[in-house]
Amino acid sequence: MKIYLTDGTPYGFYTAAFFAPEGEDLISSQKNVQLTLGCEIVCVETDREKAERVLARLRRCDPFAEEEISLILRSKDGRRERTALDYLAKILDRRAPVRAQLSDPAVLAARDFVRRVRGEAHRFTGFLRFTEGENGVFYAPFEPDNDVLELILPHFAERLKNQAFIIHDVKRKKAALYNGRERAIVCTDEKVSVSLSCREQDFQALWAEYYRSANIAERPHEKQMKGYMPVRYWKYMPEKNRDL
Amino acid sequence: MIDAEKLKILTESAKYDVSCSSSGSARKNTKNGIGNASFGGICHSFTPDGRCISLLKILLGNRCVYNCLYCPNRAEADVPRASATPDEICELVISFYRRNYIEGLFLSSAVEISPDATMERMLETVVKLRKVYNFNGYIHLKGIPHADRLLVSRAAEYADRMSYNIELPSEKSLKLLAPQKSKESVFLPMRRLASEKRALGEEKGAKRRVFLPAGQTTQMIVGASPESDGEILRLSEAMYRRFSLKRVYYSSYIPVVKHSLLPDRAAGLLREHRLYQADWLMRFYGFGANEIASEGENLPAEYDPKCAWALKNMHLFPVEINRAPLEMLLRVPGIGNIGAYKIMKARKFSALDFSDLEKMRVVLKRARHFITCKGKFYGNENRAAVRALLAAENESVKYEQLSLFSSPELSLSALTGQL
Repeated sequence: MKIYLTDGTPYGFYTAAFFAPEGEDLISSQKNVQLTLGCEIVCVETDREKAERVLARLRRCDPFAEEEISLILRSKDGRRERTALDYLAKILDRRAPVRAQLSDPAVLAARDFVRRVRGEAHRFTGFLRFTEGENGVFYAPFEPDNDVLELILPHFAERLKNQAFIIHDVKRKKAALYNGRERAIVCTDEKVSVSLSCREQDFQALWAEYYRSANIAERPHEKQMKGYMPVRYWKYMPEKNRDL
Repeated sequence: MIDAEKLKILTESAKYDVSCSSSGSARKNTKNGIGNASFGGICHSFTPDGRCISLLKILLGNRCVYNCLYCPNRAEADVPRASATPDEICELVISFYRRNYIEGLFLSSAVEISPDATMERMLETVVKLRKVYNFNGYIHLKGIPHADRLLVSRAAEYADRMSYNIELPSEKSLKLLAPQKSKESVFLPMRRLASEKRALGEEKGAKRRVFLPAGQTTQMIVGASPESDGEILRLSEAMYRRFSLKRVYYSSYIPVVKHSLLPDRAAGLLREHRLYQADWLMRFYGFGANEIASEGENLPAEYDPKCAWALKNMHLFPVEINRAPLEMLLRVPGIGNIGAYKIMKARKFSALDFSDLEKMRVVLKRARHFITCKGKFYGNENRAAVRALLAAENESVKYEQLSLFSSPELSLSALTGQL
């Protein structure tokens, strides 16, 4: 059994897939992967040309699977490469889309991964909170479970077209910058200090007031609230952090 | 900037309106604009009562000249009053939107001075928001009954969705509890908007105007008046058909006002929940109101309306999961839209047995009594026992015997109808 260690990028994954891991072979991007007796570690050097050859075959078999696999690779789950590989192997094996074969465990797992990543990206189109900086740039820190920064950037760049903003994935130490025209993804420090505009506190207070007034206190249903809006997301939401 | 006290008064007056959805419109951003609409809708926050906040739901003012008995803002009520200016509302919307707090605006108002004067101020707000502030996010506008039709159809050109609240399920109850409103004063503008939208929909070409892309909705209070669920569902069905409504919202009655004509007890959330289930059956599962409940009948509390229907129609079951047409799969208790869709897709590749369904995560707790997989029946009860259940249901005997079919984790997730 071999473990193919990649750099975590989709190209790295497809390069590893090129070496046709079979049977029990694994692809992983994690350094702390658990070793079993008699397994061999192969460090994969990302090779675009080899990756493109796998991709070209994949696109011939199923034009939509590339996007699905890129979503799977964004998952926080340590089994993402394995899930992606199983799915990829199934498609290449059948030479056709396998999306609809829902009683197949590999397809089902892939579907779940895709759904979880997409779902979280959708949630953050709602739960992300911007604060207005002194210089007029809006800053939004967040800590998503999965790597969804690139997925939500187009949504906000279209919606807030004329507004300069930064979306900061605090845990993964990267940020999306938008200046009203171009977008860029950059690496950051863990702590970024932003000086707020003078009106920011007032609007946060108004929002917290609105949040409290809109609640019907006679019908408490905290469980449902937490189901839809998990507590781990509250950290950057002013309505859950401001006690007035 | 609007002050916090005013915001509080105007929000608390608006919060009992249950409509919260921001879906159905795909309005695009403009060159100098801010915002767009997301077709599926986006929830931005959830309050401790489990309801979502999607739109900034607010009244323009709550100084009402009407005296509807159930309403906390009625003319005679002793409550703090406030009204906001169009600019205050616009500024609030824009600054909340820039921070991604909200998906848009839900603007409603009490009838101040006259219906026309009120509608005019609402129109002014919406036009300002679109034209001066270049806002392209979602706008839901409440219609004011008796307002001039030109004002209304002008407003409809700027809003994504409009709604007139029917409030009570019958003309009789309206006369009793909301004497200044009549069924016709609500139906007439709904009908006009629907036909205007239809006419515009037939126009072709690039000049086609956007007109209420997210359609119309309405809301009624359940439990403040004596109508049965059967009557309510018939009314909803008729409105869906005649006005092409997107949604009917049901709001279980909460006694905020004491009056001899009003019940002093809140109508249970369970009734509201059952009505939403029945409403879904009509819209997405091909059921007719007459199949779900007869005219004077109420929906059973012990199990959902689909279970009730299936128990009454046991001769149609069990259905074979590998052959049944989609319409029949949708009628199996416990199998929803997604489950039916999964089955339709998966069975093309191989015949499905019970464990396949489990793997696909089709919910089988109720469904197992109504299906066969490759000809095999997996229900815990044999058919006779389920028949007995049906008989027991007909005699409407004890709850315990029927509890088999009600899931204990039944969540009242349709609390607000947002699902």
